[in-house]
Amino acid sequence: MTESTNQEDPKNQVQAARKAFEQEFERFARLTDASAQSLSLAAAETEQRELADLHTRHLGKKSALSACKKLIGKVAADQRAAFGQLVQQVEADIIERITTAGEILSGSLQSARSERDRIDVTLPGRRPRQGHIHPITKLRERIEDIFVSLGYAIEDDREIETDFYNFDALNIPANHPARAPQDTFYTTEGFALRSQTSTVQIHAIQRRGAPLRMIAPGRVFRRDTPDPTHNPMFFQVEGLCVDRGITMAHLKGTVAEFLRRMFGTQTVTRFRPSYFPFTEPSAEFDFSCFKCGGTGCRICKQSGWIELGGSGMVHPNVLRTAGVDPEIYSGFAFGLGIDRMCALMYGLDDIRLLFENDVRFLEQFD
Amino acid sequence: MLISYNWLRELTGTKLTPLELRERLTMVGLAIDSVDEKDGDSLLDVEVPSNRPDCLSHVGIAREVAVIEKSKVQSPKSKVAKTQGKVSDFASVGIADPDLCPRYAARVVRGVKIGLSPVWLAKRLDEIGQRPINNVADITNYVLHELGQPLHAFDLTKLSGQKIIVRRARAGEKLQTLDGVIRSLDNEMLVIADAKQPVALAGIMGGLDSEISMSTVDVLIESAYFDPDSIRRTARKLGMDTEASKRFERGADCENVVNAQTRCIELICEIAGGLATEDLIDVYPSPQPARSVSFRPEKVENLTSLRVDVAEMDRILAALGFVSSAVGNGGAKTFVVPSWRVDVSLEEDLVEEIARHVGYEQIGSELPPSAMAGEYQPAEVRRRSMRRVLTGLGFDEAINLSFIGAAHDEIFALATRNEISTPPSFVSLSNPILEDATRMRPSLLPGLLQSLRHNFNQGTKDVRLFEIGRVFAGSEGGKLPHESELLGLIASGGASEQDRAQAPRELDFYDLKGALEASIAAMNLPPLVFAEAQVKHLRLGQAANISLADGTVIGSTGALTETISAGYKFRQRVYVAELNLTPLFEIEEHEIKYGPLPRYPSVVRDVTLLVDRNVGFTELVAGIESEVIDDYQRVNLVGTYEGQNIPGDRRSVTLRVEYRSDQRTLRDDEVEERHRRLLDSLLKKFNAELH
Repeated sequence: MTESTNQEDPKNQVQAARKAFEQEFERFARLTDASAQSLSLAAAETEQRELADLHTRHLGKKSALSACKKLIGKVAADQRAAFGQLVQQVEADIIERITTAGEILSGSLQSARSERDRIDVTLPGRRPRQGHIHPITKLRERIEDIFVSLGYAIEDDREIETDFYNFDALNIPANHPARAPQDTFYTTEGFALRSQTSTVQIHAIQRRGAPLRMIAPGRVFRRDTPDPTHNPMFFQVEGLCVDRGITMAHLKGTVAEFLRRMFGTQTVTRFRPSYFPFTEPSAEFDFSCFKCGGTGCRICKQSGWIELGGSGMVHPNVLRTAGVDPEIYSGFAFGLGIDRMCALMYGLDDIRLLFENDVRFLEQFD
Repeated sequence: MLISYNWLRELTGTKLTPLELRERLTMVGLAIDSVDEKDGDSLLDVEVPSNRPDCLSHVGIAREVAVIEKSKVQSPKSKVAKTQGKVSDFASVGIADPDLCPRYAARVVRGVKIGLSPVWLAKRLDEIGQRPINNVADITNYVLHELGQPLHAFDLTKLSGQKIIVRRARAGEKLQTLDGVIRSLDNEMLVIADAKQPVALAGIMGGLDSEISMSTVDVLIESAYFDPDSIRRTARKLGMDTEASKRFERGADCENVVNAQTRCIELICEIAGGLATEDLIDVYPSPQPARSVSFRPEKVENLTSLRVDVAEMDRILAALGFVSSAVGNGGAKTFVVPSWRVDVSLEEDLVEEIARHVGYEQIGSELPPSAMAGEYQPAEVRRRSMRRVLTGLGFDEAINLSFIGAAHDEIFALATRNEISTPPSFVSLSNPILEDATRMRPSLLPGLLQSLRHNFNQGTKDVRLFEIGRVFAGSEGGKLPHESELLGLIASGGASEQDRAQAPRELDFYDLKGALEASIAAMNLPPLVFAEAQVKHLRLGQAANISLADGTVIGSTGALTETISAGYKFRQRVYVAELNLTPLFEIEEHEIKYGPLPRYPSVVRDVTLLVDRNVGFTELVAGIESEVIDDYQRVNLVGTYEGQNIPGDRRSVTLRVEYRSDQRTLRDDEVEERHRRLLDSLLKKFNAELH
């Protein structure tokens, strides 16, 4: 009887479906963003699965609500519209509530998954250990780049030389102390290990003739016992510019420009008279201390100036020997130690470190 | 050299303070290292350039100060008050070797009283670092520092025969010098001798026997000019460096000999008493003619860009002692060089004199106009590419000294062996400075091994280094030695990762090989050929020769032998490589040309072959490439395996073969047919099995 009553009143069936849904949905109804966040990833996944089941049970083809839909056609015509509306309203309500719960759950799931996959972005990146270019090479490349941009050719030549190129052609007198075996290395055949890269200047003038601009960076040898400021082998760069009308102003301008590019635009250069056999007039050049800017500090020994190199107008004998007429051409030359520059720039207190090749040392120059 | 400010003020009346003098003298070429206060005086430590011996005295510095201040040097006037007798009655002088002693002057003072110097004299010497001894010795020293002329006082009675003979020493002669050392002389050394024996080392140091003592009564004062080279040679040979030798070896003033002597005699008579002879012996057989230099005033601007009034040029030169003697064509002048300026002989020297006194700071500063383009050395781009690649692969750049010990001879197979004579001859130093560094390196490897040892000693166990540098080999027929540029590599330990403590794997042969291949690729050169070989310093079976495509061997790579390793006490495997770059730098770069991208997909097939261990990968590749298989594109290595489940004489090699047609997409059965054909031939050719 009851059954038939129910069958007779389809509204009750709809209400029963709704009630059944609400009973099962109760715990999802309590779901909030906050409560969902506290679920573990596994619990949230279970909830999501159960919500999907719930959806199937209450909205699927075999659901009570689906059965109610089929009744719509059987309801008396005057009540059909109202009944249909009721069914649709209940269905829409169920869908909305499941959807809302689903969104809450999937939001929580997404953040739980992100949390699971979170990485430490501060760990070191993955790459092979980087090697390092030797600080002497770094400086040498920088010097070369500067002078190439100023129109100079980079030159090099032999490291073992004849006396002619190492001394005679540089106007170094036959009795000059630099020639003595105390100062210059000789091979058993009597050749000299070049004691300055000026040797390259002579080769270059002979090869290229005048006018010419070149620098010669390279290894040179002097018979010094190793100590914190000496090595029997070091690196030097010499520059030469020969042309018509070259004066000391060009020498000063060139060296000053080079040092500004090397040590910064605020660098001031000073020229002092000096003596070298291969130049006349000769000058030593100092630059304003890059550390203190000239006020005096430990690096510049309180003088504000750092001695860097020698220079001058190429001696007429040197030009003549290399085949250039000093009545037509004049030229300037300068030279400085790359090792010394390296020691100054990096505050290196013992240049012997340069040739020990300690990885912990080399790593510091990047 | 120490210069007393008070003394300088007496000579010049300078109005400059010591610190102002420091600045001004530095800017005319006499760098002052320091200025120290001492007992109411200031001492300037002057760094005198080696070509300016005329500045090695107070008068010398005073001359420069006078030019700076436009003042005059108050030269000490010398006048000997009381004299008696002819010097020839008391002594005689003979110069046997005038080539080494162009001038010798002697004068005698009789009846001196030797004692301590007066306070002013002792203080003055003491201030400039000269220890006072006795009045006569101190006076000679004082005049040296005043006028720059070294003098020597002999005890006349100790000179046998009262004779002075300036001659070369005889081989085997000995002389005990003032410092107490007995010197063995040879016949290149100049001595002052008496009738019997040497009594002084000419121009360097007196002898002990004839020195002034408390009992000395009569003194002979020597003032001479000695040949600079002779003094330098002797001083070097005997390891001596004295106030006298310092001045004579750079060049004293030959015309100041008598003047300085007179000054010295004057002071002796005044301070130590005694009567000087009326005259002196001055042996000067061929007086040096005054030198002169012709000078065109415009040369100053031509060389320095300074515009200086001719009047100002004249003033500077005159103040420095240059005497204008004639004006020639076009305003060219001739200047007589003062006898003390041994450094001046050219027009350019006068230009410098003017420029430094006008001031280098007055010279402008500008870049020279240029019509030239800069250029690197031809190989520089390649060197830089190589360095970038190698550092990218974890290699640090090393620089080693160019000298090594003879102990490395014959240990290494040289990368330059194709260029030089066999057997190689080494380049040795006649005067090495480091013990056991007598050879110019024929290989970069000894240096790199030394560097590796150093790093191990410091606790760094994962090391990869490379070096680009020259090696040397002797030439025949007295020619200059060969120089070749090499690349050396060394690697040991783990393939470490940046900022991570543990390396994921150990380095091996293929790391070095890869580094070499990458270097070559970075230079855009054709690939090198690696072939198993016996290489003296490499472990058999892990050694390869490296050659160019034409077969020229240019280096080797592999594991270091256990013997060499043991010698260095290495406890881990070490891999080394060396490559001669000189021939590589001559090869032309690959031309880069675009090839169209494939229009149809390729199909790959992997195959694992079991082959004999002595079948090389390149052999397999060559075997594949020699087959004519349609649509075959390339083969790559997947991996190799030896060990479990593989017979000891076999190796499993997995290859990936790629097929692709340019006309269409290949069908599966077509690929299968081609691959089958390839495999059949491989199995036959290499006695291989599918694995």
